[in-house]
Amino acid sequence: MKKICLTAAGAVLLAVAGIPSYAQDNGVTIVLPEELDIVDPCESSRSNVGRVVLQNISETMTELVPGSGLEPRLAESWEDQGDGTWRFNLRAGVMFSDGSSLDAEDVAHTLIRIKSPDIVCEQGAKFFGGIELTSNVVDETTIDITAEPAQPILPLLLSTVTITPSDAPLDKHIDTPIGTGPYLFKEYARGQHIKLEANPDYWGDKPVVQNATYVFRSDSAVAAAMVQTGEADIAPNIAVQDATNPDTDYSYPNSETVYLRLDNTMAPLSDKRVREALNYAVDREAFIGTILADGTLIATAMTPPSTIGYNHDLKQFPYDPEKAKALLAEAKADGVPVDAEISLIGRTNNFGNVLETMEALLGMFQDVGFNMSLRMLEVEEWLERYSQPFPEDRPPEIVQAQHDNANGDPVFSMYFKYDSEGLQSGVRDPDLDAMIADATAATGTDREDMWKNVFKYVHTDIVADVLLFHMVGFSRVNERLDFEPTIRTNSELQLSQISFK
Amino acid sequence: MGSFLGKRALASAVSLIGLIVLVFFLSRLTGDPTNLYLAVDASQESRDNFRELHGLNDPLIVQFGHYLGDLARFDFGMSIRRSEPAIDAVLRGFAWTFQLAIVTMTLATVMAIVIGSLAAFRVGGLFDRLATFFSLIGASAPDFWIAIVAIVFFSVQLGWVPTSGTGTLAHWVLPVAVLFIRPFGLIVQVVRGSMITVLSSAFVKTARAKGVKNSAIIFVHALRNAMLPVITVIGDQAAALLNGAVVVETIFGFPGVGKLMIDSILQRDFPVILAAIMVTAGAIFLMNLLIDILYAVLDPRIRY
Repeated sequence: MKKICLTAAGAVLLAVAGIPSYAQDNGVTIVLPEELDIVDPCESSRSNVGRVVLQNISETMTELVPGSGLEPRLAESWEDQGDGTWRFNLRAGVMFSDGSSLDAEDVAHTLIRIKSPDIVCEQGAKFFGGIELTSNVVDETTIDITAEPAQPILPLLLSTVTITPSDAPLDKHIDTPIGTGPYLFKEYARGQHIKLEANPDYWGDKPVVQNATYVFRSDSAVAAAMVQTGEADIAPNIAVQDATNPDTDYSYPNSETVYLRLDNTMAPLSDKRVREALNYAVDREAFIGTILADGTLIATAMTPPSTIGYNHDLKQFPYDPEKAKALLAEAKADGVPVDAEISLIGRTNNFGNVLETMEALLGMFQDVGFNMSLRMLEVEEWLERYSQPFPEDRPPEIVQAQHDNANGDPVFSMYFKYDSEGLQSGVRDPDLDAMIADATAATGTDREDMWKNVFKYVHTDIVADVLLFHMVGFSRVNERLDFEPTIRTNSELQLSQISFK
Repeated sequence: MGSFLGKRALASAVSLIGLIVLVFFLSRLTGDPTNLYLAVDASQESRDNFRELHGLNDPLIVQFGHYLGDLARFDFGMSIRRSEPAIDAVLRGFAWTFQLAIVTMTLATVMAIVIGSLAAFRVGGLFDRLATFFSLIGASAPDFWIAIVAIVFFSVQLGWVPTSGTGTLAHWVLPVAVLFIRPFGLIVQVVRGSMITVLSSAFVKTARAKGVKNSAIIFVHALRNAMLPVITVIGDQAAALLNGAVVVETIFGFPGVGKLMIDSILQRDFPVILAAIMVTAGAIFLMNLLIDILYAVLDPRIRY
């Protein structure tokens, strides 16, 4: 027995002596909420992949910088050649981590690869659906890219595309990403960690952080504890209940907007007064600081306030149940079937406290007289109600959704959500279709003004839906770092922007 | 013994085939993984390409035929979400789970047998009461709660061990400790009960009358006779661990097969689900066989 005790004590001592020190002088450890199932740069529009790969290992032609707009990255400049063609001038002397030089052929190959049906990359699926891209290599550092139909924001769209070498396979995903970025992909121990190391041949400024280790913890309390104990430096996504230390915890707008999509084509939701009544029935202020986090903003548009053309003049619908009741009574008097049962559909696990939020909304709608029932659906069934083609035999429906736009331009949202042909649009309004098309094609201040008008038209003139909240996320950051999360932290985490205090 | 092993292998193979058919069709009933994998805004063209790429457009019976054909060549298919063969992901996860199960069950079994036997020797004594109290708590405490409390106390407050992860021996302390508690508690209870029965039997009284030492009575004569029900419980607990300690793997970031299986079910990664079930079912079959052999070794009256 004595031997057993001694052996056990020895094992514990040995174990404790083996505790690793993560907090290295010039390295960081980042704890992500889920393991990367894939590391291919063409999937880096997925947030978990983007936080490791995007702008760390693989770079884009252009870069959308919060607060300053679209900036050069691998392309030094670009110009509109007309007829849907844009000319991009690439930075000279840029090398991939395999030693090859970046040239226009790589860009042309990347644009083919993101649309390859043999791998179905999310960059192609999400941002270039229905768009044909053709490239003409002018010389090593010059390329003409033509989009059909023409894309006036093609430079902005290319801020989502990570450039890979021209020998990247078209028929399978990459396990070891090769990029031009400030970091090299060193090691992927699946299920355990990913390690990056500073690229000594990087074309740009040398980063302060020399290496990074990514680990994966799905439990928010554990991720937060890892930063607290110094085992990790950044937990970019922790739950509100774990963000308890004001010295290390940050809230940031996470670019997600929660709203209720109304089926404008079916009575009674086809009546503007009914849609207004829904808006007046919701006490939005009551959610914030209770079942939703402090810092959550009330939305008057589908995109966050940092988006160009966001209309800051729009006023939120006040909580006014009496007005809601009056509008319903008025509609009823005109023969609108306001008593028809409406199905309120929520998406399970869409965000923290989604069920409580939906139940509270249901109660508010029922209080003003709506005949409504709530159904919480898993993503597959939910998507059948949210995306076109909608079911033929559906009742009047209100679908709760959360939409992410961290890309700074409403074009990534407005066509899908409000155009008559939009995948998730509940609106059929030719005037709005024309406004969206015009704003999409415009540039400069015209573009900004046109999007402002679109936002006003949607929110105030036709009251297309029930806009609710711009959400916030929470991060815990080790006090030794000089780093503050931004709206981009939801989709990328540039190590080169981190330094030490 | 040889014919027994052959019969058991045949029965297990039939069960495995039934399991494959059941899991294949039940998992497909959960829906199409396309919309889980691609962004909500992905184009219809991309969705069609994805379905074509993964054979999801084919009728279910055709998909099943393809699956059986591949399986005959020991090809479990490519994971839908991961750019690797499904079996690679499963075997990697199973290796972690297997190590965790072996370490945990070895510790739990050895300690439970010693403590349960000693508790049974003086029924109602202080040691027995303490052993019963703590083993009952261990057998009934929820492991997710113990895991979080252990992290807060031993890692955050005391800083003795890492919160989670893998890499050093220290990383194993908390996951093993948390996993250890339940099987330890159950096995102590069973050992104690079984030993009380054996220690009151005639041959033990005879041994005492002949002046045999207490330690020899307990650990040499009585224990072997008390082990049959204990082996059964150890087998049950080990099987549960081999299926994956999902809660512990999730909280401690341990990349085992249990978490992989749950994630694959949630993500509808069908090839991984099927490969994981085949591997864990195979392991459990082997373990049950081992237990049958152990019965025969411990009790010569048992013949196959």
